[in-house]
Amino acid sequence: MEPLHGLLEMLVLRTLERGALHGYGIAQALSDRSSETLTIEFGSLYPALKRLEMKGWIESKWETSDHNRRAKFYRLTAAGRKRLKQEHAEWASFAAAVRRIMGPEPEGA
Amino acid sequence: MTFWKKLTHLIPSVRRASERDMQEEVESLREMAGPGALGNLTLAVEDARSELTWISLERLGQDLRYAVRILVKNFSFTVLCVLTLALGIGATSTIVSWINGTLLNAIPGAQRTRDIVSLTRGDLSDSPTPPYSYPDLLDLKRQNTSFVGLLGYHNEPMGLTGNGRPVRVWGTYVTADYFHILAVVPAMGRVFSGDEDAAPGSGAVTVLNYAIWQSQFGGDPSIVGRTIQINRHPVTIIGVAPKEFQGAMPAVRSDLWLPVTMDPVITGNRFRLPDRGTSWLNVLGRLAPGVTRVTAQQEMNALVQRLVQQYPNDHRGSNEVVLDPMWRSPFGGNVYFAALLPVLLATAVLVLLLACANVANLFLVRTIGRRKEIAIRLAVGCTRGRLIRQFLAEAILIAVAGGMVASLLTCWTSGLLARFLPSSREVALGINITVDGFVVTATFIVALFSTMVFGIVPAIRATHVDPIATIKEEAGGIAGGVGRSRIAGALVVTQVALSLLLLVSAGLFVRSVENAQRLSPGFDPHNMMTAAFDLKPAGYSSSTGTALQKELLRKVAALPGVEAVTMSDWLPLGFSKRTTDVSVDGYVPQEHESMEIWIARVGPDYLRTLRNPMLAGRDIAASDVAGLQPVAIVNRAFAERYWKGADPIGKKIEVWGQWRTVVGIAETARYRRLDEPPEPFVFLPILQSYDSDVVLLVRSSVDRAALMPMVEQAVHELDPELPVFDVSNMDSQVRVSTFQRIAGSFIGSFGLISLLLASVGLYAVVAYTTRQRTHEIGIRMALGARPESIFNQVVSQGLRMTGVGLLIGLTLSVVLTRVLRGQLLGVTPVDLPTYAAVALLLVVIAAVACLVPAVRAARVEPVVALHHE
Repeated sequence: MEPLHGLLEMLVLRTLERGALHGYGIAQALSDRSSETLTIEFGSLYPALKRLEMKGWIESKWETSDHNRRAKFYRLTAAGRKRLKQEHAEWASFAAAVRRIMGPEPEGA
Repeated sequence: MTFWKKLTHLIPSVRRASERDMQEEVESLREMAGPGALGNLTLAVEDARSELTWISLERLGQDLRYAVRILVKNFSFTVLCVLTLALGIGATSTIVSWINGTLLNAIPGAQRTRDIVSLTRGDLSDSPTPPYSYPDLLDLKRQNTSFVGLLGYHNEPMGLTGNGRPVRVWGTYVTADYFHILAVVPAMGRVFSGDEDAAPGSGAVTVLNYAIWQSQFGGDPSIVGRTIQINRHPVTIIGVAPKEFQGAMPAVRSDLWLPVTMDPVITGNRFRLPDRGTSWLNVLGRLAPGVTRVTAQQEMNALVQRLVQQYPNDHRGSNEVVLDPMWRSPFGGNVYFAALLPVLLATAVLVLLLACANVANLFLVRTIGRRKEIAIRLAVGCTRGRLIRQFLAEAILIAVAGGMVASLLTCWTSGLLARFLPSSREVALGINITVDGFVVTATFIVALFSTMVFGIVPAIRATHVDPIATIKEEAGGIAGGVGRSRIAGALVVTQVALSLLLLVSAGLFVRSVENAQRLSPGFDPHNMMTAAFDLKPAGYSSSTGTALQKELLRKVAALPGVEAVTMSDWLPLGFSKRTTDVSVDGYVPQEHESMEIWIARVGPDYLRTLRNPMLAGRDIAASDVAGLQPVAIVNRAFAERYWKGADPIGKKIEVWGQWRTVVGIAETARYRRLDEPPEPFVFLPILQSYDSDVVLLVRSSVDRAALMPMVEQAVHELDPELPVFDVSNMDSQVRVSTFQRIAGSFIGSFGLISLLLASVGLYAVVAYTTRQRTHEIGIRMALGARPESIFNQVVSQGLRMTGVGLLIGLTLSVVLTRVLRGQLLGVTPVDLPTYAAVALLLVVIAAVACLVPAVRAARVEPVVALHHE
C-alpha cells in the first residue's frame, strides 16, 4: 500500500522529528514503523524530499554516518516543525472523522 | 521561499550544481542499500529534478536553445522565412505607424486629445469651409456648458521680416486660450496666458514653432523677449512651442501663433474680426468631464439655431453643427487619412497573411526532412505536446526576428507617407511620423499573431508521424507526404486567391489614375509653369501691388517663348476652396439657400492662357482696373443655375458689396476634383480687386528649367527682395487626387509583393511534391512514360491549384472591392479588363513557377530515381 501524495510528506516530517536521517534511513524508518504495511518506493520518496527541501521545511547537509560513510542527512527546520504540528492536528481530526463514520467492523460477509 | 529557490534554479549553473549533488547523494545511498534495492534511481533523480524549478519554464528555455541551434544550422531557410515574414509584418507595422502618427495622434504635443472635438457647421464635404465667425465663437464660448473651453484658429501665410531675407511663413491666429485648451506645454518661454485677445488690436506677441525657431533663429536660447516683424508689424516673441506641436489642424503646420485680435493689424483686414457673417475660424473644443460628443452636439445645435434666428442674414445655408473626434476631423489631413489608411491596413494584413502562408509552406516542406528525427524522438518517449512546443519555439524565434527586421524597416517606411503628399502653396503639411513604443509593441504583437497563423498548423501536422512506419520505411515519405501536400496545396490556393484580390485592387487604382489622366480638367494644363509670390509681406499697398503685378505681366509676356501669361490668387484642383456669398440679379434664393459660390481673382487673359473655352463675351482684360466699371466672368454652370439659359452678358452680380457686370461666360471646368459635378464659378479681375498673394501662370513651350531664371529675373528687376516660391508645372498640380495616387502606389507595391510571395509559394510546393514523387516518376519512366507527359502532369498540377485559387480570388474580389467604390475614378469595382489582366498575369507567373520543377521531373533518370533514398 502506498501512502497518498500529501500524506508522504507528512510522514517524512514526522520521521525526521526525532533527529536527522539520510535518505535510505528515512525509507527504512517509514517501512519499520508501519510494520511494513506501507511500501514506500524510493522513487516517490526522493522527489518528496526535494519538494520539502524546496519548501524550506527540511534542510540537508553532507555528514559522516555511524558506519563512517559520507551521506546526506535531512533534518527538520523551524518552519518544518511548525508545519508538522499543523499537519498532525489536521490529520488527527480527519482520522477521527473517518473513524466515526466507519465505526466498528461491519458485520456479516 | 519556494519561489526564490526555484528562481535561483533557473540559472543553469545553480541547477547543474544541485543535479550533481543529487547524483552524488543517490550514489552514496546505493552503496549503503546495495544495488537494486532502491529501484530505478535515474528515474528518482529525474523526478526530483522537476521539483527544483518550474519545469515548463526550463523546458521552454531548452526548446528555445534547441530551436536556435536548428535555425542556425538551416541558415538559408531561416533567412528566407525571416525576410518573408518581415515583408508582411513590415507592411502592417508601416501602416500602423501611419495610423498612429495621424489618426491616433491627431495633435502631437497636445494632451488628452481624446476629449477634443472638431466643430463643423453647414454642409459636410471633404473640404468644408471654416465654420465660425469671431462674434459667433465668442457667443458660443459664453453660452455653452458642454466644453471646458472652445478655441478658434485660422491659418494664413504671412511674411516674416526683420531677420535677414524675408520669408513666407504660415501664421495662425488663435484665441488666447488655444494653448491652454490643447494643454500644450512650451519648450521655452510661455504660451498665451488667456487675456491677449481682450480687444481688437491687442496682443502683439507670438509663440514660435520649434522648427522655425531652429531654422530662422538658429535655436537662439535668448529668443524670448525679442521683437520680430510679421507683415512688417512688430511682434514680441514670448515662447517656443514644443518640438512635436505643429498646430491644431491635423497634419498641417503652423510656423507661428498670434492672438486672433492681431488680425486687423497684421493682415490689415478691419472687417473680418467684428463681422458675424464672415466664417473664417476653425473651432475645436475640449469636452467637459462626463459630457459625451452627442450631448455636446445637441447643445451646440440649439445654441447655433438661436444665433441663426437672431442674425438670419449672417447664417445662410445649412447650419447643422456636427462634432467630430479629431481622428476624422474634416479639417486638415485626417479627413483623407481616415478614408485611406483603413484600406491600406486591410491590404497590408492581406500581405501579412500571404507571407504567413508562405512561411507555413516552408515549414511544412522542411518537416519532411525531419520525419526521421521526429519519429525517433516519439519512439523514445517524447510526447507530441513537447514536439509541438519545440516547433512552436522555432516559429516564435523566426517571428521575433521577423518583427525586429520589420521594426527597422518601419523606421524607414514610416516617413514615406509625408513624402507622398504634395507640397502646396495653399497649405503647409506638417506630418512627422515616428516609430514609437506603440508602433514597436504593435509590430511584435503582429509578429506573435503571425506565429499563430504560420506556426501552429505545420507543428501539429509535423508530429502526425507513425514512428514505426517512418523508421522502417526506407522508400521515404509517400504516405506521410500526401496529407502534407494537401495542406501545402490549400495554402498555395489561398496565396493565389489573396494576391489576386490585392492585384485587382491595385489594378482598379491604376485604372483610376489612367482615367484621371484622360479626364479633361476643362483647360489645358500642359506647357504651363506656375510661380508664386506674395506682395503683402514685402510691404506693398494695393495700389503699388497692382502696379507691380501689371508691370510683371508685361515683362513676362515679352520673354522669348512665352505664349501667354496671367495670374491668379487660386489654382484649380489644389487643396483650397475659395467661396464667397454672391447675390444674383433677378434670382431670389429660397429660404436658407446657400449662395456661397466658388470665386477666383485672375489676371488679364486668364481663360485664354489656360485654354479654358469661352462661350460668349470677352476674357478678363488689362483694362479691367480699379475705378472703371466693375466686371465679372461667370461659368456655364452659374449661368444655367441662376439665369436658366437667359443671356447672362450684361447681367449683374454682387460680390463683396459691389455690383459687377457680367462680361463673359466660360465653359465649366473642373475646379476641385476631376470627377466633380459642374460647379458655378465667378472670376473677378485681379487688377480691379487686388490680392497680394498670387500665382503667375506662364504658358510656354520653353522648358521650365530654362524659363524659370528668366521669370525670376523679371521679378527681381522690379523688386530684388521679393521671394518667388513654389515654382511648379501646371500638370503636376492637375494630378490625380492624392488619395488615388497614394492608394494606387501602396496597394500596387503590396500587390507586387503578394505576386512574388504567391509565385515563390507555388514554386516551392510544386517543386517539393515533384521531388517527393521522384521515385514514382522513375518507375513510370522505366515503364515507358514519355518525358512530355511527366512534364505536362507537373505543370497541370500547378495550374490546377492556380485555377482554384483564381476562382476563389475572383469571387473574393467581386465581393470585397465594393468597399473601394467611393475611391475609384471612372471605373467600377467589377471591371472586367482589370480582372482579366490580373488573372492572366497570375496564370503566366504560375506557369513560369511550375516550369523549373516540371523540366526537372521530365529529366529524371529512371535508374537514379529508383535508387533515390
